[in-house]
Amino acid sequence: MASVTGTEFSEGLDAGFSGDGTELPPGIGPWRLAWRRLRRNKTALAFGGVFIVIVVLCLLAPVYSHDIAHIGPDTQNITGTVTQNGKQVDIVSLTDIPIGPTWHSHYFLGADQLGRDVAVRVLYGGRTSLEIGAIATLITVFFATICGILAGYFRGPTDTVIRSVLDVIWAYPAVLLGITLGTVLAVGSLGPLHGTSLAVPTVVIGFVYIPYVAKPIRAQVLTLREREFVDAARQQGLGHLQIMRDEILPNVASTIIVFIPLILANAILTEAALTFLGAGVQPPNASWGTMISDGINQIPAGFHNVLVPGIMLVLTVLSVNVFGDGLRDALDPRAKVRI
Amino acid sequence: MRNYVRPLAATLLAALAAVAIGACGSGGSSSSSSAATSASSSAAASSSSAPAASGGTVKFVEGVFPQSLDPGLDYTTQGAEVNWLVYTGLVTYAHANGIAGTKLIPGLCSALPAITNGGKTYTCTLRKGLEFSNSKPVVASDFTYAVERSIKIPWGGSGEFITPQIAGAQAYSAGKAKSISGITTNDGTGQIVIHLVHPYGPFVNVLAEPTLGLIPAGFPLKVEPTSPPPGVGPYEVKNIVANQSYDVVRNPLWPKMNVPGIPAGHVDVDVTVNSNVQANALAVLNNSADVFDWADAIPGSVLAQIQAGAKGRFGFVNLGGSTYYIFLNSQEPPFNNQLAREAVVTGLNQDAMARLGGGTLVPACFFLPPAVAGHPQNATCPYGTPGTGDLAKAKALVKQSGLAGTPVTVWSQDRQPRLQWMTYYTQFLNSIGFKATQKVIADATYFTTIGESKSLHPQTGFADWNQDFPNPVDFYGVLLDGQSILPTNNENFGETNDPYINSQVSKLSTIPTTQLQQNSSAWQSLDEYVAKKAYAAVFGYQKFPEFTSDRINYNDLVFHSIYGWDFTSFQLK
Repeated sequence: MASVTGTEFSEGLDAGFSGDGTELPPGIGPWRLAWRRLRRNKTALAFGGVFIVIVVLCLLAPVYSHDIAHIGPDTQNITGTVTQNGKQVDIVSLTDIPIGPTWHSHYFLGADQLGRDVAVRVLYGGRTSLEIGAIATLITVFFATICGILAGYFRGPTDTVIRSVLDVIWAYPAVLLGITLGTVLAVGSLGPLHGTSLAVPTVVIGFVYIPYVAKPIRAQVLTLREREFVDAARQQGLGHLQIMRDEILPNVASTIIVFIPLILANAILTEAALTFLGAGVQPPNASWGTMISDGINQIPAGFHNVLVPGIMLVLTVLSVNVFGDGLRDALDPRAKVRI
Repeated sequence: MRNYVRPLAATLLAALAAVAIGACGSGGSSSSSSAATSASSSAAASSSSAPAASGGTVKFVEGVFPQSLDPGLDYTTQGAEVNWLVYTGLVTYAHANGIAGTKLIPGLCSALPAITNGGKTYTCTLRKGLEFSNSKPVVASDFTYAVERSIKIPWGGSGEFITPQIAGAQAYSAGKAKSISGITTNDGTGQIVIHLVHPYGPFVNVLAEPTLGLIPAGFPLKVEPTSPPPGVGPYEVKNIVANQSYDVVRNPLWPKMNVPGIPAGHVDVDVTVNSNVQANALAVLNNSADVFDWADAIPGSVLAQIQAGAKGRFGFVNLGGSTYYIFLNSQEPPFNNQLAREAVVTGLNQDAMARLGGGTLVPACFFLPPAVAGHPQNATCPYGTPGTGDLAKAKALVKQSGLAGTPVTVWSQDRQPRLQWMTYYTQFLNSIGFKATQKVIADATYFTTIGESKSLHPQTGFADWNQDFPNPVDFYGVLLDGQSILPTNNENFGETNDPYINSQVSKLSTIPTTQLQQNSSAWQSLDEYVAKKAYAAVFGYQKFPEFTSDRINYNDLVFHSIYGWDFTSFQLK
């Protein structure tokens, strides 16, 4: 039935825009058109490639750790030594100054205060940061979509209740709310959310960004529910759930997709911020946030401890943001204002 | 010329007035009582009669906010170094460097308390003309109130030093009495009589605790974190912003009270809290702050820079009165098992921990530090000389205990090197067979949090102790005696409740502080017993930094062996 009524998204794209004024061949689906537009945006693709490289490197962390560095991410070696220029050098000095980059397989990017290999930890830390970012994004998008569609579609009391809850969450700065929830959950517990579990920062970050996505979706649904194709669906006797699933959801899909990289970038940054402030990933788990937090006190003598995870964080967030911008342009070429 | 005449005349007049006031103060001091002579010579040299220099404000930086600036609660070094100058007790300590600073002198009492009735009764009389910093006159019954408040809040040491010692305090604590029957006071004469349940050797030291410093009766019986009670002392605390800053300003009423041995301060002190101790150290190095808190560790990353750039205003002092250890909860698995505790003590790599401490930690195994009577001087550590540790043996012990795989939560503060110590320790526990995870708590709330023995029962984690007074009871009574376990604000984190320790502490605590050296062998035996039982994994005695800016007169500073920096000795050049 849905195929009969059509969608707002396909209507917009069937108009034959390419986004840069060139004609497009008729009969091409909206997703294919978006892909064509995205392919023309070389900058976005390049940064998308950078992001994929980072993800692949992080996924290969166990291989690097096991076969090249021969040391685990949490393996400490405070009183150990390493051979450098034919000499045995302390990995951590008697006054707690860690060795810098050796540019060899062992301690390629140096060690941290506890004699852990920075290169290994930065890859494992990337896995943690990306994992938290990705799952938190899914949590945000999932609940924000439900809240946004329900509030926009039903309006009235449902809208009032959902909007009020979202306003309350929105009213608190995301990082402040994250610190509060993170600290409470880390000290106390709520089911699987306890102590050092990575679920704590994941859920917290996923939760705090729900209003940021739910509100635009709600606004879009408020418009969509008045459109002819929704009326047509009602006339055909479709239930509320079916209309929301088959008519409304596909039309907000492009908005949701545009939000994914933006929320992902924000989630990764928020994880680093919360962890730096002690309310995110708990030691000894490696994440870019914990590495920066641990390394901040080592700046004069061990700048690499902050620089390496910092560069990885910037590269990741930058690549996701630029790619996300390109994705937004591809999916909605008529948008004047960038999100 | 005319323009200079009036200021010049005013200056001369002010100088004459200062000389006159100084002379009055001097006379008062020397004629007040024999107490003046009981103070050490160095203390006397820096007494209130000494010419006060300069004025101005010193910027003091510290890594962690005190547990509280309310003396009813605080039991931290950060709080005590301020509170002993704000809440003077009936007795106090000489303001002097080194061992001279452990000498008791009369505080608000006109002389040291007379001890009678076989060590069970303490009597002293308040000085005349004492006023709180809010100008309210001090009366003897204010002391009773301070004791009651300390019990009710409760102060972390009350379970050992106050409630079981003073007659009637147990009944008051349990709500069975409206006041403490063992304390009688006379507001007219200022006499205070304290009856103990049994002789308690260090009780005169207990009277010097800031928590028993006098406060006005009727002040709320609850912690007032930002509006602590007025006190009697050379300083008062103002402008408290929780976890950020507070000002320790000179009490203008103090000089006229003429209390010998307790000098008025030369400067006000603005305290700023920044958990980034490296930034604090660099600020002092660059003279944008003046004093680095002694209880913070200088990060190794800036140590060489400071040693090179702060010659003549930086050094380390080993007070020998502090123990850094890992508490092991002997009531909770796995450390209710002797073998599990032995495994920790056996395998701990103290060399690694010393490095994480920037080289300021002296490896150790005994609970009592070197400056405290009873420290085993030439004894052998029961589980091997502190060093790299025996990991293989530790693993074997865990296996033997049958507790391999037991989940363990390691409690940690969030400042370095304490966080790094516990991160190392967590990994160490995992490497010997436990399943350890780390729980990091903000510095300011750490000890309060893990002190919730009623509900939390922390398994293991960081702890340290700096002496309140030079007596082993201060270590054993609070940290290892079963009687000291409190439902909240507990300091016996390992919930050690060994009948032998309890009975020995009870027996040895009757020895007066003045006779400790003659009886130190009994304490030494107890300390060796505790090491053998591995009730705590001692990992070192800390050396503390003495570090100031160029603006401070470094040579005249007093570094007190109990309270650290003596703010009354701060002077700007």
